[in-house]
Amino acid sequence: MGAGKTTAIESLSEIEVVRTEANNSERHIADKATTTVALDYGEIVLDGEDKVRLYGIPGQKRFDFMWAILKKRAKGMILLVNSDAADPIAQMLTFIDEFRELYDRGGVVVGISRADVIDGPTLAEYSEALERTNPDLVIPVFTVDPRDRDQMENVLLALVLNIEMRALFGMATAASL
Amino acid sequence: MSAGLHTKPAVVKAASALLSEMKDATSSLTYAALLTDDGFDVARLPGQTDGARFAGMASSMQALGDAVAHELKIGSCEYIIIASGKGYVVQLRVPGQELVLSALFDNDATVGNALAISRSFAQKMGDLLK
Repeated sequence: MGAGKTTAIESLSEIEVVRTEANNSERHIADKATTTVALDYGEIVLDGEDKVRLYGIPGQKRFDFMWAILKKRAKGMILLVNSDAADPIAQMLTFIDEFRELYDRGGVVVGISRADVIDGPTLAEYSEALERTNPDLVIPVFTVDPRDRDQMENVLLALVLNIEMRALFGMATAASL
Repeated sequence: MSAGLHTKPAVVKAASALLSEMKDATSSLTYAALLTDDGFDVARLPGQTDGARFAGMASSMQALGDAVAHELKIGSCEYIIIASGKGYVVQLRVPGQELVLSALFDNDATVGNALAISRSFAQKMGDLLK
């Protein structure tokens, strides 16, 4: 919670974002007024033709039924990690495990937010933790400001590229069998 | 608000008492819960449902109801009904509070009857917390 998921969808979306927010009663965990309790929805057209549907989902465990619903439908995931949270590396690894099927089916990239306001782990430490725990996975890690449309678009394009490259790679492997 | 209603013992006690009263008054009521807008369980009737998980789901549904009403420009969502072969879920906000009442009725209730009872107890909870 508080990584900037709703803000990221707001930055990227070309339509008015569908938001489902409630007042946040866990201000001691994340000091923000509201929190997403179902999903955020936005859309963006890439390269003038491919419409990407963007779903932001709540991070708290009590909403894990939403994870299951959206996990089934998604092609890829941008995992936003709040560098300012308690043990952000462990949080990242937990969500990578939780959403592993999305990696297997499409692709995953990690965006580290609030890295500029806190003396948290370095980008290299996030990458090393991923390599150590998931040596077979190719998951790019970026720092990102979810408020910045250009930065978010770069992360999204990296995800699309990651999905397409891995799809090509998978096809080449299948063809060579 | 700095702390949720689920962390306030007086609210939890009042919510539990209200749900017991609702159960005593309504033979067709099989489950009911009061939860915060952001998905924390405040009180619930005994049942096989995982209260924490149901609170999360019910708050999502409430927020989706609000999002649909907003999208269709029909004002705010007053209540949500889920009808199934075995009963109805009626869900609505407690007036003036960041609280949701979600109640499951069996088929002995009509939708109108279930809605009227739920409205009346949601109002009662709102009055209690004034």
